[in-house]
Amino acid sequence: MTETRKLFHEELDELHADVVRLGVMASEAIEAATGAFLDADLGAAERVVAHDAVLDDLTHSIEDRTYLLLARQQPMAGDLRTLVTVLRVIHELERVGDLMVNVAKATRRLYPQPLEPKVRGLIDRMREQAGVQVRLAVDTFADRDPERAAALSDMDDVMDDLQKDLFRVIFAAQATDDAAIQRAVQIALVGRYFERVADHAVNVAERVAYMVTGKFAPRRDVGPAL
Amino acid sequence: MSKRVQAEAVSAWFGDHQAVADVTLTIEPKQVTALIGPSGCGKSTFIRTLNRMHEAVVGARMSGRVLLDDDDVYAPGVDPTAVRRTIGMVFQRPNPFPTMSVAGNVASGLKFGDQRPARREMAGIVERALTQAGLWDEVKDRLDKPGASLSGGQQQRLCIARAIAVEPEVLLMDEPCSALDPVSTLVIEDLIAELKDRYTVVIVTHNMQQAARVSDVTAFFNLSGAGEPGRLVEVGRTAKIFTRPDDERTEAYVTGRFG
Repeated sequence: MTETRKLFHEELDELHADVVRLGVMASEAIEAATGAFLDADLGAAERVVAHDAVLDDLTHSIEDRTYLLLARQQPMAGDLRTLVTVLRVIHELERVGDLMVNVAKATRRLYPQPLEPKVRGLIDRMREQAGVQVRLAVDTFADRDPERAAALSDMDDVMDDLQKDLFRVIFAAQATDDAAIQRAVQIALVGRYFERVADHAVNVAERVAYMVTGKFAPRRDVGPAL
Repeated sequence: MSKRVQAEAVSAWFGDHQAVADVTLTIEPKQVTALIGPSGCGKSTFIRTLNRMHEAVVGARMSGRVLLDDDDVYAPGVDPTAVRRTIGMVFQRPNPFPTMSVAGNVASGLKFGDQRPARREMAGIVERALTQAGLWDEVKDRLDKPGASLSGGQQQRLCIARAIAVEPEVLLMDEPCSALDPVSTLVIEDLIAELKDRYTVVIVTHNMQQAARVSDVTAFFNLSGAGEPGRLVEVGRTAKIFTRPDDERTEAYVTGRFG
């Protein structure tokens, strides 16, 4: 049998590679945004906000090319699942970028007050956990490896626990004046952003499992709302 | 009308060359079954065994059984011509009798049959067949014009009208759109969707998108190499075959990784 539709499959591979690139950029955004937040570095925070445009552009470019391939190639079976998965996954990754923009903006809102050590430590661990999960999700997509998707789903509890710990610390501080309440809310939101990032990572992995097997992942508990 | 066709271990040969090997397939009534696969995979030969057209070729033979509901179409004493009327066929190129009138073409199967209906009855059958074939409104004012005066797409619908005028149970369509322009193709595809309410429809097509559009069930035929006989690889609901087939060979074919 001769191989056919070589060009189409090359274009599909290019799209696949670009999604991985977007994922790497999203995981870099986690490092950059959290670094700016923890160091109260306004310049670095601005750069994170500005750089998000690059992620958005890449997302749009991938989306455009996916529509073109759907229209022109009428993909079937695994190719069809790959393209639909691409559309879903880029949305998840692009959201990770947006959430990190929110973290970067929180830097500005808390400036110039330093973070208390306990909060600092927890946010740092959330950064680490979010980074691990997003990188694992991107690897899952890159290698089309649904085994790792299951591992990611198990990891989600870690982030939920960190978020609970963070809320406990915030409540323990018993903020009374307006400024302290504002601050507590900002920090709680930052915790929430990390928790959302971890969720997006799990979503990516679940989409990959569908892409590879054609079967949807079993329902999972979405964890505590707050 | 509309019966189940069951092929049991059907193999087919042209002389020494085996074209089809050991196909067991149940084709359910009132739905469209598409047969897809690369050239030479035996799908056209296979459907010709279903209505005993295969044996009309010199040196051709088959083994296995074909049941129409409970009746063995190869049972001793069964008239192959009667089988071909019950299991009608539409071919790749529209092949109306070129000089015969539109109405004459539709009625030709009836005339060659045992009983010739009376003229008035005949007119009713012609109208009904042309209506079912979605052609009546286009040709009702030129029923006496030659078949060849119609466009390609109309000629193919005329052939479908001819096949259904004899009230078959099953309609076999061998690449019915491959000689047609895209619009005529879509008209025939819509027609196929209507025909399945009345007939068991089997369509052989090279066009995978067409199989995906028109069929309820898809059967993928393949051959392991040049000169090898074609075999049935996988059969399933069309939605599944084109989104998540079970067999790797089906996946490779529907994604166009080989041809």
